Amino acid sequence: MRDVSLDIQAGMFGLLGANGAGKTTLMKIAATLLEPDSGTAEIDGIDLIRDKHAGRRLLGYLPQEFGVYPSLTAEQTLDYLARLKGVVDKRERKKLVEVLLDRVNLADARKQKLGTYSGGMRQRFGIAQTLIGQPKLIIVDEPTAGLDPEERVRFHNLLSEIAGDEAVVILSTHIVADVSNLCGQMAIIRKGEILASCSPYEATNKLKGKIWETSVLREEVNALKAKLQVISSHMHEGRVRLRVYALERPNELFELATPTLEDYYFTVSREL
Amino acid sequence: MLNPFRTTFGAIFHAEILLNTRRVAPYVMLALFAGNAWLWTAKGAAVHYDWAINCDYFIVRNLAGFQFLTLPLFTALIMADPIGRDFRTGIYPLIFSKPVRRSTYLTAKFCGNFAVLVACMSAFILTMIVLQAFPSEKMLVQPFRVWPFFKYFFFYAVISHLLIASISFTVGTLTRNPKIVYGFIVMLYPFYIIYQLQFLKKLPDYWRHVLDPLAMNAAGDRVKSVDSVTGYIGADLINQMVFSPDSLAITNRVFVVLASLLILAIVYFRFSMIERGGSGADKFALTTIGLDSDSEWLVPAQADAIGETNAIAVRPLNPIDLPKVGLLTDGIRSNLERWRAALAIELRLLKIERGLLIILPMALLLCVVALITFPPPDGPLQTAHYAHRTAEMSLLFLVAIAIMFIGEAMHRDRELRIEPLLWSVPAPNWIFLLSKFAATFLVSMGFSVLLSIAAIIVQISRGRSPLDVLVYPEVFLLILAPTVAVMVAAALMLNVVLREKYVAYAVSFAVAIGLFYLFGQGYKHWSYNVVLYELWTPADLFAPGLKRLVLLRIYALAIAGLCILIAHFFFQRKSKSRST
Repeated sequence: MRDVSLDIQAGMFGLLGANGAGKTTLMKIAATLLEPDSGTAEIDGIDLIRDKHAGRRLLGYLPQEFGVYPSLTAEQTLDYLARLKGVVDKRERKKLVEVLLDRVNLADARKQKLGTYSGGMRQRFGIAQTLIGQPKLIIVDEPTAGLDPEERVRFHNLLSEIAGDEAVVILSTHIVADVSNLCGQMAIIRKGEILASCSPYEATNKLKGKIWETSVLREEVNALKAKLQVISSHMHEGRVRLRVYALERPNELFELATPTLEDYYFTVSREL
Repeated sequence: MLNPFRTTFGAIFHAEILLNTRRVAPYVMLALFAGNAWLWTAKGAAVHYDWAINCDYFIVRNLAGFQFLTLPLFTALIMADPIGRDFRTGIYPLIFSKPVRRSTYLTAKFCGNFAVLVACMSAFILTMIVLQAFPSEKMLVQPFRVWPFFKYFFFYAVISHLLIASISFTVGTLTRNPKIVYGFIVMLYPFYIIYQLQFLKKLPDYWRHVLDPLAMNAAGDRVKSVDSVTGYIGADLINQMVFSPDSLAITNRVFVVLASLLILAIVYFRFSMIERGGSGADKFALTTIGLDSDSEWLVPAQADAIGETNAIAVRPLNPIDLPKVGLLTDGIRSNLERWRAALAIELRLLKIERGLLIILPMALLLCVVALITFPPPDGPLQTAHYAHRTAEMSLLFLVAIAIMFIGEAMHRDRELRIEPLLWSVPAPNWIFLLSKFAATFLVSMGFSVLLSIAAIIVQISRGRSPLDVLVYPEVFLLILAPTVAVMVAAALMLNVVLREKYVAYAVSFAVAIGLFYLFGQGYKHWSYNVVLYELWTPADLFAPGLKRLVLLRIYALAIAGLCILIAHFFFQRKSKSRST
């Protein structure tokens, strides 16, 4: 990590970066599970290095990879985690576990051992445990990795609902669509450095009038790539569709395109 | 001609060697075995009785001790897990989807790991060979020799451990649970002793040799054949003895090799490289697609947002507000509540441990058998003798439970990858440590209670009166509880400090074996004999010996407390790696 400083308002915040960019490292530091070699880590005035306990009080954390006790049921495990979080009243805890499981559509599977859960169910269980104890900061690290499309959409809905007026939800992901769908604020990270921080709307606004698109033969691509700042290229009906960053129209083959967050991500990460 | 290293067998064999070179265990074994050989050669019987350290008798005698006292657990350590590891790490679909025959896979796995085991074992014999060149003043050395060392090493140790390796490999492969194998091998010690004393000893010489899988009597019987009355002969004669394997010894070894092959045949026939659908798979399918299609909704806003290709019909989540709950994150009550929660989970997880389900009944059975055959001296202290015997007997099992199950509890959270969830909650470190300590302690004490009840029943059934029932709780609280506390605490500390599970196992067992070796040699001062092995008598349970006993137990509890403090100090609740 290098001079990472983020000012995050309540709501959903997307941390976007390629694999290996440092997202999980940053998330682990925020979750008090990793100490930076130097510098400070502070959230809401709480020093996460010196006062981890205070940090954990306001934290809900869903790691990128996490396990469960396969022989315990969802109900038993949530009850255990709630007790660890400090929900000491048995009746309150029981009600909370019941509502949480209902909230993530696992009420029918509450007596089922976690070892038998599918990937999607396990992720939903993971998000349920992050909500215990009214956390002010919820960290979800690559939550949709490995989920099927249906579970992914369901998970998006859930995330957008839990980010209320009081809680901050930090969503770490390498999927640009996840951020554009869900987040009101975002940052792009590369090699442990924050390259940009703004809202998705601001991001696409910055590129208005600068993204051009064309469709060319495959043989022409290399020549164009050599001359222009190509953001992305993909095959479409046997031809290559190129998106290019340019202040002015490169030539008559190109049409002005509506900028997307993906354009912004590539523009920033390639320092165009 | 086909290069064996370019075959599938060669590839798997090589991979196993490579994997083992990345483990700590083989290096620890090399060091331990070399140290063991040095200790037994430089400080052992040869020096004491003026035997040459390279005479046949001493080589065979040393190998017998090595293969029984030191080796079986390490054999299990290497051989129990090669197949289970593939399943645990999730690499098995990559291997099984290649054109690899089951027989090739199993044979290469076995041979690769057995080769590593033999290489580690050879540290023992190589050290003995080297010591010929660098003898101490007290060591008597005949002309330098090499061949007899290797001959006896392969004839006795390697072939005997082929059998133990086959058992470990088969049990480990079929259960995919190395703990069961460790439990099994721990049980081997008392089982083998009982087998020797109650069965082999009563057989004619021929069968006694043929049916001894570890050939433990080879050296002793040769001495007895010279002097059948005392079993003692002078050093000169000992140094001249030649141990050429006779037909009986060869029959025995053939029998062991055949038994090993038979056991390996079981794993061949029972192991499958194809997943079988079962009740678990049914449940999985049901819960994955268990949504009612009639009630699925299309969420237009989301469908627009993620684009046409990802527009999926999904049922919305129930919009339920979470109830507000009172949080108590600091203070004694809050922490006690957390500790109770953690303890309850630990006990629940221990309860379903398959290893425990096997070890406890077997340990109970063996202890009861030993109690039944126990002849207590006559006198009024019948109960004290029985309780004393029970406590001494259970020590071996309590050591095993302490080391294996605290290790299991300490590393379970990491292995199951639940640590990030647990460690991000506002609970102090001692809650995690003490819950694991307390769970293992309670399980050990539960075993002791069951054993005490069994002892009372045996005592009554054998008519050994007077029965003083209160003596059992006294032994339980005064002897067993502090002993278990100190053993569990020490194992806890080693697991925290060493961090690696198998290193902690190896060091814990090495410390235990080392201490018991010292106790066996007569070094059993109370300062390091905190388990009070052979340091108390039934009479000490009554005044005036009681006061000394109480003081010794306070000392043991203080050591336990110190171990827990060190564990707490070194416990690091953070990730080791910086995965991105």
